[in-house]
Amino acid sequence: MNKFICFSLHYLIFSFTFSPVNSRENRASLIGTTCKTTPFYNLCVSALQSDPHSSSTDIPGLAQIGANKVKAKATATLKQITNLLEQSKDQSLKKALLDCVDYYDAIVEYDFPTAIDAVVKGDPKFGVQGLNDAANEALACERRFEKQPKFPIEGDNKVVHDLSAVASSIVALLL
Amino acid sequence: MVDTVSFLPVSNFDGSNPSEPLQSRRIPMKVQLLIFFGLLAVGLFAALLTSNNGSDFVTESEHGSLVSLNTAKPELLQPVSRGPAAGVSEKSNRLFAKDGENMVAFPWNNSMLSWQRTAFHFQPERNWMNDPNGPLFYKGWYHFFYQYNPHAAVWGDIVWGHAVSKDLIHWLHLPLAMVADRTYDKNGVWTGSATILPDGKIVMLYTGSDADAVQVQNLAYPTDHSDPLLINWVKFSGNPVLVPPPGILSKDFRDPTTAWWTSEGKWRLTIGSKINKTGIAFVYETKDFITYEKLDGVLHAVDGTGMWECVDFFPVSKTKENGLDTSINNPDVKHVLKVSLDDDKNDYYAIGTYHEKNAAFIPDDPENDVGIGLRYDYGVYYAAKTFYDQNKNRRVLWGWIKESDSEAADVQKGWASVQSIPRTILLDQKTGTHLLQWPVEEIESLRLNSYDFNQVTVQAGSVVPLDVGPATQLDIIAEFKIDKEALDKATGSDLTFSCSSSGGAVKRGALGPFGLLALAEDSLSEQTPVYFYIAKGSDGNLKTFFCNDQTRSSEASDVNKQIFGSVVPVLEGENLSLRVLVDHSIIESFAQGGRTVITSRVYPTKAIYGAAKLFLFNNATEAGVNASLRIWQMSSAFIRPYPNIDNQPQ
Repeated sequence: MNKFICFSLHYLIFSFTFSPVNSRENRASLIGTTCKTTPFYNLCVSALQSDPHSSSTDIPGLAQIGANKVKAKATATLKQITNLLEQSKDQSLKKALLDCVDYYDAIVEYDFPTAIDAVVKGDPKFGVQGLNDAANEALACERRFEKQPKFPIEGDNKVVHDLSAVASSIVALLL
Repeated sequence: MVDTVSFLPVSNFDGSNPSEPLQSRRIPMKVQLLIFFGLLAVGLFAALLTSNNGSDFVTESEHGSLVSLNTAKPELLQPVSRGPAAGVSEKSNRLFAKDGENMVAFPWNNSMLSWQRTAFHFQPERNWMNDPNGPLFYKGWYHFFYQYNPHAAVWGDIVWGHAVSKDLIHWLHLPLAMVADRTYDKNGVWTGSATILPDGKIVMLYTGSDADAVQVQNLAYPTDHSDPLLINWVKFSGNPVLVPPPGILSKDFRDPTTAWWTSEGKWRLTIGSKINKTGIAFVYETKDFITYEKLDGVLHAVDGTGMWECVDFFPVSKTKENGLDTSINNPDVKHVLKVSLDDDKNDYYAIGTYHEKNAAFIPDDPENDVGIGLRYDYGVYYAAKTFYDQNKNRRVLWGWIKESDSEAADVQKGWASVQSIPRTILLDQKTGTHLLQWPVEEIESLRLNSYDFNQVTVQAGSVVPLDVGPATQLDIIAEFKIDKEALDKATGSDLTFSCSSSGGAVKRGALGPFGLLALAEDSLSEQTPVYFYIAKGSDGNLKTFFCNDQTRSSEASDVNKQIFGSVVPVLEGENLSLRVLVDHSIIESFAQGGRTVITSRVYPTKAIYGAAKLFLFNNATEAGVNASLRIWQMSSAFIRPYPNIDNQPQ
């Protein structure tokens, strides 16, 4: 019996040594298969890969990285909006920007924390809802500018929307 | 002749020689080396194979969800669904208004938002609520606990809120019952259920999201059983009492049910989970709620349904019209298995038989098994839970009604979610296939003055105003008779009708739609139709549908505009009957005595306060309708904090 245990141990040690290594190739394909389920594949891949931890994490980890990207972009865009507000003298433009401040506040202070919480604690449906809301906040901001001659943050706003939709899709994989 | 000479000594595994000495089982050295290198080779081979295969995470990446955000490539920003109904295409789930309308996101003001708060539905004073927890009746009080976020109007930081009532309607808020103060519930004090022991004592089992975010089950009980208000709760020092079993992921194990007593003198309870995309419910046996034995197999499983949350399992009488204690099991009884599907945010039930011997549930109709068949409610309704009310010998159902507006509006108004009015739940003895839900009779204590409308004729293509004064707090009972001749004459067709894809109450058919326009503005710019639609098949058979149409419920574009509903069985000789509770931003509607139920959240911008009106309508092309109604104004339930209680961190 002892000998059996001894050999089993040896076997285990050997098998661990030769077990599938977390190769770049292996993890990169997890990002690929995950991003294929999202509506914006290229954006998803570039967003996830830009985080150094993405190559060695699992789907909940990717979901968190995605949500963090939303927060970062939304925070940066919110800053832009407040800068524009300070500079602008056009009342109608200011009004639209102020509304967008509200929408972006919601993303940063409510949608994002709820999503991270839900993923970490294991009740992903609230994460899906939070990130869907973030996308809809960005959409609401775009709608506010429909009657405006210019939409100064158009590009960034679209990125926030698309990133939110991507992150929401990833979280939905955890359902 | 058996050849007893062999290279390897044969071990006897037939148990006939239990005292066989170990030495006879030793294998020679050569063979051991052979086995070792053999295993090593297999290990290397396996390593080679798996290193090329990136799809180890099959369970997680299976996207079997009914939600589809993966729509066609958007040209502009595309709205994202907040809660698509099963099988409905993305287009009709648009959160925002249909193309062509003014799509500016709505600037809600305080007047509109404060109107949304309900007058007689349970809700905390502020912030977020979700699942009902541990409802029970004890020492003269109904107790209600609920998932609550004390800090914000969105989900998070979940603890147990608590309220009491003498009549399931007039609620008084109490201090939080349980907070996240242990390692085993540090990340959330989640859903649970109460079991009342034969000696009257209460045990509460609930899910904790522990410090490592593993879902575990914990035991708690009242600190002082002589306190009728059950204000303080103590958690068992040996928690957790259950952890995810082998083969189950740490985040797929939650929401323990009320326990039932077996004929062997043990308690059983069930907990939902999933394996890949198969929803399952485990059964555990216990004598003391501290140590458990997991029974082999599952109570039931249904492929493709995903995670089973908030499982509920209870008996209903086949012959009597009262509720049954959870432990009752005899030939006069059917059992109901109910699940909340994480994947599509709806509650489903199946009626069937419970076999105690092997702890199995067999549904009467496997085509409509739990998760793929009947729903408690075809609108906004989730995480429902029943309890046996020993005070009035009935089974009472609670359901969480979340918001259908934007999260930003929730944050602005400072609260989110209400509970449905508690409903009695019974087997529908006439059909045998459905349950009947009905608001508890105590709600009638809120009725003020009533208005009668007798045999009102509503011609095809007409709208009749019902003058009942303010139309935001109403209890409506109505009966409809449709012109029989038109029923017989109408040409049948094969076209399949469904509420969600019908285009709403504005789309006219020969025999429908007809019903009520609730929360409607005089000019009908905002209206929420609650209605019947009769479809005639080419075989002459009639099918009746019951729907709620939110497409024109509000001029705001950031609210849900779906059409909810389902077919409702109507038996020979039955008139179409309807009960509707209107309470500001919630409408609960019951067809055929509660055979089919729809709850909607409605957020008008104009049809609020004195401007909200009620109408009868008949948009059929060929049939007149005769309606009789009794409508009551409803008082508020004045839900408020229990007076003179310290420490109310609500």
